[in-house]
Amino acid sequence: MTNSRTVAVAPPAAAPRRVRLARFRDLALVPAILLLVVVGAVIDPVFLTKANITNVLQQQTELSLLVLAEAIILIAGKFDLSLESTIGLAPALAVGLVIPVASNGLGTDLPVALAIPLCLLTGLAIGAFNGLLILRFKLSAFIVTLGMLIVLRGLQIGLTGGQNLFDIPQSVLYLGNAVWLGLPASIWICGALFAAGILALGFLRHGRAVYAIGGNVDAARAAGIRTDRVVWIVLMLGGLLAALAGLLMTGRLGSVASAQGDGMIFTVFAAAVIGGVSLDGGKGTLFGALCGVIVLGLINNILTLGGVSAQWIQAIYGAIILVALILARVTSGKAQD
Amino acid sequence: MRHISRPATAILMAAALAAGATGCGDDAGSGGTGTGSGSGGQIGIDLPRADSDFWNSYAKYVPRFATELGINLMTPTNSQNDVAKLVANAQALQSQGAKAIVMAPQDTGAIASTLTTLESKKIPVVTVDTRPDKGKVFMVVRADNRAYGQKACEFLGEKLGGKGKVIEFQGSLSSINGRDRSEAFIECMKSKYPGITVFEEPTEWEGTKAAAALQTRLAQHPDIKGVYMQAGGVFLAPTLQVLKSKNLLVPPEDPKHMFVVSNDGIPQEFEAIRKGEIDATVSQPADLYAKYALFYAKAAVEGKTFQPGPTDHGSTIIDVGGGTLEDQLPAPLVTKENVDDQALWGNQIGK
Repeated sequence: MTNSRTVAVAPPAAAPRRVRLARFRDLALVPAILLLVVVGAVIDPVFLTKANITNVLQQQTELSLLVLAEAIILIAGKFDLSLESTIGLAPALAVGLVIPVASNGLGTDLPVALAIPLCLLTGLAIGAFNGLLILRFKLSAFIVTLGMLIVLRGLQIGLTGGQNLFDIPQSVLYLGNAVWLGLPASIWICGALFAAGILALGFLRHGRAVYAIGGNVDAARAAGIRTDRVVWIVLMLGGLLAALAGLLMTGRLGSVASAQGDGMIFTVFAAAVIGGVSLDGGKGTLFGALCGVIVLGLINNILTLGGVSAQWIQAIYGAIILVALILARVTSGKAQD
Repeated sequence: MRHISRPATAILMAAALAAGATGCGDDAGSGGTGTGSGSGGQIGIDLPRADSDFWNSYAKYVPRFATELGINLMTPTNSQNDVAKLVANAQALQSQGAKAIVMAPQDTGAIASTLTTLESKKIPVVTVDTRPDKGKVFMVVRADNRAYGQKACEFLGEKLGGKGKVIEFQGSLSSINGRDRSEAFIECMKSKYPGITVFEEPTEWEGTKAAAALQTRLAQHPDIKGVYMQAGGVFLAPTLQVLKSKNLLVPPEDPKHMFVVSNDGIPQEFEAIRKGEIDATVSQPADLYAKYALFYAKAAVEGKTFQPGPTDHGSTIIDVGGGTLEDQLPAPLVTKENVDDQALWGNQIGK
């Protein structure tokens, strides 16, 4: 512990500067968001109603949790592609273990109360297993999690026989459905988790250690940070958040689709990178990543409200993302990486 | 990982995309081997994917009808929605001695050269569900997807009395089935019910996109009265969940009721129809797909030929151009009145 204390003291020389720059990157997307809000309001007055804004936020909750997980992992200098399969497998396994065979269950008929703990535990275990392969066996994080992405998706399809699970217990539906104080519970949950993440990464010693490891792992180790342990925890946290996202999505959509989350990882990376998180590790903030999520959500909503024709929607979606990036580049005046 | 260059990262991401796309699905559907020491040579079959309720039902029907028709069926392969795997599987089936091959190419363009190769080896091909853009096939077995859109349009138009607003969850416009349904639906709406406003929502067959579009549209137009979803398997649960959260899941007698028409005919849709949560679905005939695909494959091996015109099983063979024949199987509209009909495949497989 004395070691780590010296670490906490060592960085201050550099820290204030880094923080200021980071803040700058943070706010880079705010003009883009403001512009989108103006455009949205012009296209349709419904855009600014509480119901619509709530919808946009709720639709982005699952994505935002994956982005939260991925951003922390990227900042720590690692990769996790398997998140998109965890979001499907964790709830599918948990639900499969508690529902009867007649509803495509696995036949174990465990108590329904165990569904949520099982789901979260599955996510945690997947993260721990990723950590084992990456940190103990020294395999490339990219390839390990790419392999896991395929394995986990295959497991879900194997276990469920490729069926969508429709008979979902009430407890699993609750979080994705409930309304707390006038807003969907999932929005509160994501908001709280992002706030916790921003505080932890900005001010707590272990949070700062994540940046140190992502910036230069050898230097971090030399400075006394237990790099492997921190990264391992980060990977487990990633799996846990993905499982929670899976719960929210299952609740919101009322079923576990066999392709739940399929292809989502690219949107996750898009949001993180638009939000200023570097793929090379050590750079970026969670607030920025959250802005990235909101930008993507607003674009989707505006395209729907505007009634853009089906054939053109993808091209326009991509083009708007590029414009948002350029706007961020111009307003922050800083080269992106 | 940390020092990986950005272009390299981009390439790896692209690789991951490809792997991600092919990574979904395993060979869960390739379990059954048909027996029956049937007449003629053995018939190979490739299943298109293992991750959809509809195709899983199809996979279950295949060995059953093979036995019924006395076909010597090879172990089915599964191409996991990947045309490259389908090409490889077709080659494998051919080298294992298949005399005819049944396949369901989801990419209707990229299969052309494989069809040419098989034709030169004198192996007849029956395609199910889709019609190849190019290349010779013995028979296309396909439901009339335009009729799906047409029936959905007529049902909604009648229920809404020819006015109001409806929302349509389109499938993927890059698939022939999604395109056919979308085109037929909007054409019918424009010509027969010009008083109805249609919001066409592209979804790429993804439930999340449909749910988001429905929420947004309902905020914009709270007076939407009808929903047409092109695939119940992916859109049913998300739609019901959104309607429930808006308190719109009420019996048909209630003036707030939202009229929902679906396509697929899976058991969950039937259950929703019985409960009055949705109003109708078009049953895509999984059983007839399996039955007539094998029927035509067997006929091809035996050297039979077919002509355009009505068939003995309530469908019509049409010449869709270039000498390609297509047996357009009927797809019944299922409503509260006939939802318990035991002839529907959705009632056959239980839950």
